[in-house]
Amino acid sequence: MDQRFEGQPKAEIRLEGRRLIRGEVTNDWGSQLIWEIRRNGEVTASIPARAIDSHETTDAAAGQYEAVLKMFQYEGYEKDKDGKYTKSKFIEISNKVNWTI
Amino acid sequence: MLRIGDIRVPVCHGMTRRSFLEAGTAGLAGLSLPAVLSLEAAGAVDAAKAEIRNCITIFLVGSPGHLDTWDMKPEAPAEIRGKFKPIDTNVSGIQICEHFPLMARMMDKVALIRSLHHKTGATHENGQRWMMTGHDFNPDSVKPHCGSVVSRLFGSRGTLPASVVLPGKIGNTGAGPFHGQTAGYLGSAHEPFFLGSDPARSDFKVADLSPPAGQTEFRLNARRDLLRQVDEVQRRAETNSSLGRDTAYARALNLLTSSEAKQAFDLATESDKLRDRYGRNTLGQSCLMARRLVERGCRHVTINHFDTVFNLSCWDMHADGGGLNNTYADYEQLLCPQFDWAFTALIEDLSTRGLLDNTVVCVLSEMGRTPGLNPRGGRDHHPGAWTNFMVGGPIRGGQVIGSTDKTGARPQNNPIEPPQILASIYHAMGIDLETTMMPGPGNRPIRLVEAEPIHQLFS
Repeated sequence: MDQRFEGQPKAEIRLEGRRLIRGEVTNDWGSQLIWEIRRNGEVTASIPARAIDSHETTDAAAGQYEAVLKMFQYEGYEKDKDGKYTKSKFIEISNKVNWTI
Repeated sequence: MLRIGDIRVPVCHGMTRRSFLEAGTAGLAGLSLPAVLSLEAAGAVDAAKAEIRNCITIFLVGSPGHLDTWDMKPEAPAEIRGKFKPIDTNVSGIQICEHFPLMARMMDKVALIRSLHHKTGATHENGQRWMMTGHDFNPDSVKPHCGSVVSRLFGSRGTLPASVVLPGKIGNTGAGPFHGQTAGYLGSAHEPFFLGSDPARSDFKVADLSPPAGQTEFRLNARRDLLRQVDEVQRRAETNSSLGRDTAYARALNLLTSSEAKQAFDLATESDKLRDRYGRNTLGQSCLMARRLVERGCRHVTINHFDTVFNLSCWDMHADGGGLNNTYADYEQLLCPQFDWAFTALIEDLSTRGLLDNTVVCVLSEMGRTPGLNPRGGRDHHPGAWTNFMVGGPIRGGQVIGSTDKTGARPQNNPIEPPQILASIYHAMGIDLETTMMPGPGNRPIRLVEAEPIHQLFS
């Protein structure tokens, strides 16, 4: 029996001071949920977001920051020779928030 | 007091199970065992009076590596301890894998059993049969699934089957067709009801609850009337098998025409918020359906987390580069989060509705996985030690029963074998193993399982 993941997960996130806060995820697939934080377009952190609904950012380096909530989308177990998924991947499920240091 | 099914039979003070067996079945309050069988099959036994709890079993097909989940060895060498880190739980001294953060918050409800092992071959099927029947496999006398035993002893409540398996049967797991999920010698009347459909699908429909094309409700009712008329004829020549077919057919008709059954399986009546909390996936929605079923009278629900180990992401972490290419990535990104989300939703939901006191939730698997990582970074089959757990009913949470050695290779303290798990499930459900017998092959009364419950679970 194929494992089904119906609907499209969505969540709203916001920034209060240095704290990232997320709302509840609708159409939650239950797979891994992470905050992805980028500085000047480069990913600097992937932080588990399932168990708590906020994350205090601690980055001090100067730059343009962006955060988004991502969820693992299962499309198959297949992986390449390096062990990377070839079909499954993390997808963005929220709006993005930005800040500058 | 002795029980056969739901019938309480007084026995002399001090009479033991064995002395009862020696005395035979004659004189059981005037009822012979065939008479009891007939009464139960005919629905004459008042199953509503059975004072037993429900059971929901989540069966983790493929078998999680115990060292990567609930029996971590952070002090062991890297090639043994693996990639993941332990986290504290809400019970001092108990740690579990970092990828179960929600379960860690409810460890006070959970009893971990870390010294499970069996000595038969390291196939999935051996483990499935042990953990679902409590018996070693004998093809000449196929032992019944735990839910079938409960069905045979206590029958159904209302129109729902006594035992349901979600979302479907276990299929190919590598070594044969016997998975321990049939009624075995108890006959077709006590087969679990296999949903056979994925409740996570937006077009979900229970195949057996939809009349076949061209069959109207009128025609179904006419068939039921006909069934009633032929009942008498059948009973004149009754044998166990004819009774079994009779009961199974009546059950199928009941399901087809019952609005109660249709409602029990209708997840659309649950709020989107709750459905999200369980997870919009096959496991999550199966857990939600399990809660609906026990709430409405189903006594035993088994959820198979996967129906195969091949060509999909599952617990069978061989990392073989082919059809069994599950790795740490599958555990981290899909399996552990999905389980953590669904399992904790189920426990919270049962607790909120006041059902956890009357429902035993078991998380079982076939075996553990090898202490040493294989050259590809996976772990292979290891029945020498593994961890399962129980929650709810009379189970005392916040404890660890048994332990394994430094590498998780074998039990160190309090080794536990599968029949003890089944005995504990029956005991937790409120079934007195000393006085409750089951009609075995040839209708000879037999014990449900040849083991004692794990008493520490209840103390």
